[in-house]
Amino acid sequence: MKSSMFAIIKKDFRGITANKRLFSAILIVPLILTIFLPSIFVFLIHFAPDDPDIQKLLQMIPLSIQYDSLELTIAGMIINYIMPIFFLMIPIMTASIMAASSFVGEKEKHTLETLLYCPLSVKQIFRSKVIASFLLSMMVSLISFFSMIIILETEIFFLMGSLLIPSISWIIILLLVSPAIALIAVTLIVRGSAKAQSVEESQQGAIFLIIPVVLLIIGQFTGLLLLSSWILLILGVFCAILAWILLKKSMGRFTYEMLLK
Amino acid sequence: MQAVELQNLSKIYPGGKQAVKQITLSLNQGEVFGFLGPNGAGKTTTVKLLNGMLIPSEGNCRVFNIDPVYEPEKVHAISGVVTEHAQMYDNLTGLENLIFYASIFGISSSESEKDANSLLKQLNLEEAKNRKLSSYSTGMRQRLSLARALIHHPRVLFLDEPTSGLDPESAQNVNRMIQLLAKNEGITVFLCTHQLRYAQEICTRYGLIEEGKLLVSGTLEELRAKILARITLCIRATKVPDMLSFKKIGDQQYEIDICSENEIPGIVRQIIESNGDIYAVSAKKPTLEDIYFALTSNAKEDLK
Ligand SMILES: Nc1ncnc2c1ncn2[C@@H]1O[C@H](COP(=O)(O)OP(=O)(O)OP(=O)(O)O)[C@@H](O)[C@H]1O
Ligand SMILES: [Mg+2]
Repeated sequence: MKSSMFAIIKKDFRGITANKRLFSAILIVPLILTIFLPSIFVFLIHFAPDDPDIQKLLQMIPLSIQYDSLELTIAGMIINYIMPIFFLMIPIMTASIMAASSFVGEKEKHTLETLLYCPLSVKQIFRSKVIASFLLSMMVSLISFFSMIIILETEIFFLMGSLLIPSISWIIILLLVSPAIALIAVTLIVRGSAKAQSVEESQQGAIFLIIPVVLLIIGQFTGLLLLSSWILLILGVFCAILAWILLKKSMGRFTYEMLLK
Repeated sequence: MQAVELQNLSKIYPGGKQAVKQITLSLNQGEVFGFLGPNGAGKTTTVKLLNGMLIPSEGNCRVFNIDPVYEPEKVHAISGVVTEHAQMYDNLTGLENLIFYASIFGISSSESEKDANSLLKQLNLEEAKNRKLSSYSTGMRQRLSLARALIHHPRVLFLDEPTSGLDPESAQNVNRMIQLLAKNEGITVFLCTHQLRYAQEICTRYGLIEEGKLLVSGTLEELRAKILARITLCIRATKVPDMLSFKKIGDQQYEIDICSENEIPGIVRQIIESNGDIYAVSAKKPTLEDIYFALTSNAKEDLK
């Protein structure tokens, strides 16, 4: 990679982290979703296991995934079957915010034109922007994952006296599905940004990406869709291929003239 | 090799507006070329064509023999561009901005820091260099843009109204700097401007463009010859003979249009011979401004 591309990536990262409000929004929402929310559930099943809603939930769990205690079974279900869904949403959210502010933001503030006068091709600028957004969303995903595991495992260990091994699906999610989805989101947004005139406009575009994922979540909660590792792997490979095709197709499309409009 | 070459260059915007019409022009190395014309004449469009930001509809252009249509990155590597719309990052300081742009041009920060500091000093931005750009005034931003355009030691400078927002002192300072760059370092300057008086001070050659058409190009003397400009002779004297057909414009003040400086000694002699006292004699040649108005209005008459 050219050092000039690295300079842009570094500058974009700095631009996001220097903007305290934006950066905390990027970090806080994922942390609420992945730490605060499941913690409430863990406490709830420990202190109020007789709640009728929880009993109803229990009846839906297939026998194959049950642990030796009721509490642990439910905790395991939360960690392995509910939480992964959030890791489809987090990269989309992060990538959207970063891509929108790093690409359309530059257009709005007229700094993109200055970049175009530098000895970089449009392709290289595009690629640097995609890489920066992608890296940030992976970083946020991983931070969220490790803080979630550390905190939930600690809670479960002290409340229920045992540790839960995260299922194998997590590897597929963190290393395949999540990056692929992040890449799709970034590519679509950066591509859409060439036309979008404001940051808001391009962030609205991201909503179309979140809706299918939200539908999936509803499916998960009502027990309609219980993803197995195999389905997940297929989904991941499919997303990765889609991301690659999108990336390839978008790269060639840009000209200076389009971007300056 | 010509530094900048335009051959039959035309641009029609997607909406159908023809902004540049078959311009042919070339700039020698080290020349400061003043590209003049009223609003909407096509100056900015020409700069964008020369940098590959726009694709010509017809003809072609070259910067040091590189065609910006095919190798825009190579053109950018040797040129510095200042335009009104090329802004820098508000969340970085002046110095950080310069170092960032240098790094995109492949210059390490240790190397660029020295150059950045000296440019900031030359442009009177030294106290402001560690302040965020968000606190800069328009004029400061404009001067920093010039520093940014120079940070990678370009061979050509494209300046689109670099002094339009500057106070007279800064404008003069910037103009002097441009002149020195051309003289001492052989940088070729393509300068679009409305400030004719400054242009006359620093440019070695001019091109006049109106409605996309290049009306004339050449040195000041060549332009003067083109409009058949007369010299205005002003004299402060007594007893000016009537036969000289001077126009009296004040107490002891007279004016006459002559065709060449060779007529002056004869006129002076005639006044002295008729016992007049001469206090002052001055010959006013048409300024760039006079030429500009003469030519742009000529063009209007041609169109009628
Ligand atoms: N993107 C565009 N699409 C369509 N027409 C354009 C576009 N940009 C400029 N024009 C038109 O092209 C003509 C030349 O514009 P240009 O910006 O080159 O003028 P200029 O000489 O730089 O003027 P000024 O002195 O005001 O900066 C104008 O009539 C303008 O309306
Ligand atoms: Mg202009």
